[in-house]
Amino acid sequence: MTNPTLRATGLTKLRGGKRVLDNVDLTLEQGSVTAILGPSGAGKSTLLRAIAGLEDLESGTIESDTQILTNGGALVLPEHRNIGMVFQDFSLFPHLSVIDNVLFGLRRGSNEERRSRALAMLEQVHLAGRANDYPHMLSGGEQQRIALARALAPAPDMILLDEAFSGLDGKLRAELRDTALAAIAAQGAAALMVTHDAEEAMYMADTLALMIDGQIVQSGAPAELYLNPVSASAARLLGEINEWDGPIENGKLQTPFGPIPATASGLSQGMALVRPEGIDISLNPAGEYRAQDVHALGANLAIRVEAPDSTIWLTKITIESAVKAGDRLQVTLNPHFCTIAV
Amino acid sequence: MAITQRLSPAAERRDRSGWSFDPKIAGIAGALICALPVMALVPMAIAGGGGHFSHLFETVLGTYTFNSILLVAAAMAGTTLLAVPTAWLTARYEFAGRRLAMVLLPLPLAMPSYVAAYAWMSMSVAGGPLNAATGGLFPSISGVAGASFVFSLCFYPYVFLLARQAFASEGSHSFEAARILGAGPFRAFWKVALPIARPAIMAGLALVAMETLADYGTVDFLGSPTFTVGIIRAWISFGDPEAAARMALILVILTLAFFGFERWIRRRRSIAQAGGRHRPNPRVQLSGGRGAVALLFCLIPVTLGLFAPVAHLLQLTLETPRQASPWAAVGGTLTVASLSALLAIVIGVGAAYAARSGGTLARISVRIAHAGYAVPGAVAALGVIAILGAAQSLIGGISWAASVTISGGGLLALLFAYQARFAAAAIGPCESAFQRITHSMDQAARSLGASRFEVIRRVHLPLASSGMITAAALVFIEVMKELPATMILRPLDFETLAISAHHFASDERLAQAALPSLILVGLGIPVMLLIGWLSEREQT
Repeated sequence: MTNPTLRATGLTKLRGGKRVLDNVDLTLEQGSVTAILGPSGAGKSTLLRAIAGLEDLESGTIESDTQILTNGGALVLPEHRNIGMVFQDFSLFPHLSVIDNVLFGLRRGSNEERRSRALAMLEQVHLAGRANDYPHMLSGGEQQRIALARALAPAPDMILLDEAFSGLDGKLRAELRDTALAAIAAQGAAALMVTHDAEEAMYMADTLALMIDGQIVQSGAPAELYLNPVSASAARLLGEINEWDGPIENGKLQTPFGPIPATASGLSQGMALVRPEGIDISLNPAGEYRAQDVHALGANLAIRVEAPDSTIWLTKITIESAVKAGDRLQVTLNPHFCTIAV
Repeated sequence: MAITQRLSPAAERRDRSGWSFDPKIAGIAGALICALPVMALVPMAIAGGGGHFSHLFETVLGTYTFNSILLVAAAMAGTTLLAVPTAWLTARYEFAGRRLAMVLLPLPLAMPSYVAAYAWMSMSVAGGPLNAATGGLFPSISGVAGASFVFSLCFYPYVFLLARQAFASEGSHSFEAARILGAGPFRAFWKVALPIARPAIMAGLALVAMETLADYGTVDFLGSPTFTVGIIRAWISFGDPEAAARMALILVILTLAFFGFERWIRRRRSIAQAGGRHRPNPRVQLSGGRGAVALLFCLIPVTLGLFAPVAHLLQLTLETPRQASPWAAVGGTLTVASLSALLAIVIGVGAAYAARSGGTLARISVRIAHAGYAVPGAVAALGVIAILGAAQSLIGGISWAASVTISGGGLLALLFAYQARFAAAAIGPCESAFQRITHSMDQAARSLGASRFEVIRRVHLPLASSGMITAAALVFIEVMKELPATMILRPLDFETLAISAHHFASDERLAQAALPSLILVGLGIPVMLLIGWLSEREQT
């Protein structure tokens, strides 16, 4: 494991009596992208701004590998933290040209060197041709790329992205994610992004942290979080989930769609969490289950299935399956997609 | 298809409901009210031989021009010094009393500058409290320097309000972006936050310049005459309409130049703002001691511009046992101010509808009506007289000069002149209120079965009401404070607070001027507070 670029421990921030950040721990590593996913108002942006030094904290420590940045109040001013940041509204300086925006943070070296560095950064985001334009002449996607180039130009140890893609639409967004990942990888910086878009977080992150009400409720690799959520609310952040409360008997929790083995022992009660992809269904005229409705959803069919006791769960199977509304079905649970939370 | 056809603006005018309204007419009427008085000045200015004028040119025009330039430059510098730091502090930092400071800082707009001039002059002359307290060190407030001082104190809110808004929205985001890119707080302020707010500050300064040039009461009282003084002297003392009209045209060209500059800046600004979306940043908390310093600093402008003069006027009033009864003047002021506010709402709403759905001609008309804001009161009043004179000479065939002198009366003429000057102040807020009502809202309401009248009653009025109240309140305050137009056009027995304060002050009876002045400020402050409250409510 490489040295952490940044380690935050016990960050706590109060605003109007509410804990916007509640004892948050976070570690960022060089060359790795960490994403924080949470509903709006969870404290994601506050966490990002605290790391940037734009927000004071009630308590907690933020340290880089060389120095302590924050110990309660901000010790190291934002301009001395060597952090890059891409804002949701891009915050390009409207009175400066594109190249001057990128040059703004480049203060070392001769004019020649600074200029060639800035042009190289623009090259990296495929906008070298727009160097002398002004921000208002660019499209939203182009402004976003300039903001990225400006943030990366001073070769920061770490780059922070605050809902950096949420102002843009579908296809453009997907392209920009790859541009951003490539540019960040080329710099070798640690990246921290916050978003409320689950797909974006999973796509970009090496490590994903789920944040609810000022707390990080779970963190790890995206696939791990998707398959083994610690709670129903954590599970819901990443996609649809079927929930079932029940007693655990003989190491199993019985649901209307079948038993789920409990991994931890000693629990008497639990909540079964089953992803829609974890329910395999097949047509069977004698089956006890019934397809209530069927909708196409990208490469999948989303099917609501009714169990004998009238419980309805959502399932997803690949789109070529010939299931229609009203069909009788039989179901089996795929244990990889099932978990039991307390 | 049938539905969209019925809802298109062209079809709406042919609507079979019987009730029809062409917004174009309202727009054109607004434009005429503002433009006609200025246009009517041209024949008036070239009517005479110009002998008197050339004499005038040699003697006083030089002084007027010199004073105007000095006053505008000094008032701009003074308002910048008072407004920009306070705007930055209240936009960027959080400290105990910040909200109070934000409520107080715009209040000097309720203070007519001539009232501030009476108070400061009276405090600083030999024997006045300031003079006594400083052992004669505090300079007497008079002349060009004194007028610049008073204008800075009374007009800084124009800059404060615009700069604060700019700092709070785009400025603070870019400031943070600059900090993260390695700029210290000073470099980030000078290189980023200030340049970004510069257009807003310049727009505010253009307003300061227009107000400075339009002022009559302050420059007349403090003895630094500008064109307005020349116009009123030529008209009232010398009975020389040509000279008055010529000076009025010079003045209106000056103010229109500033107005054009302000519009140009605003248009450029709206392009620059087009990129990105803004949500306000949390403000930086200042701890107790530094917060107290910030609060004290923010209280300086409002103390000098409002509290100190009001306190002094209060003292003068209490020390003066025999006061002339102010009630006739209060009645006169309330009458013209409320009638003007009502008229301005009608014009403002009409123009807003015109700008919204009226086509090119209507939009151009509304733009012309906006320029009315650049027409100083003295110019508007003289223009109204010129129109009346032209109308009378058309009807009666009487000669120019004679007809002009007879027609200088009537409350209607006065109300006309007020609209020429202040309708633009109502059109702005009405227009922005109506801009937020999209055509699709109309269409949604119509498709849900609302009649055209219901759309107005259930959709437009609730959405636009606070904009309309703001418009009325602005015009109410401005008309109360207006002095030169009232002096030129008022019927002989008609008193207002501004007139009676000015008369007492001109006669060196400051103690008697204090009471009408105080009532004027006392009426203005609640209206200013209402405007502030409405705009705060808009933003949340």
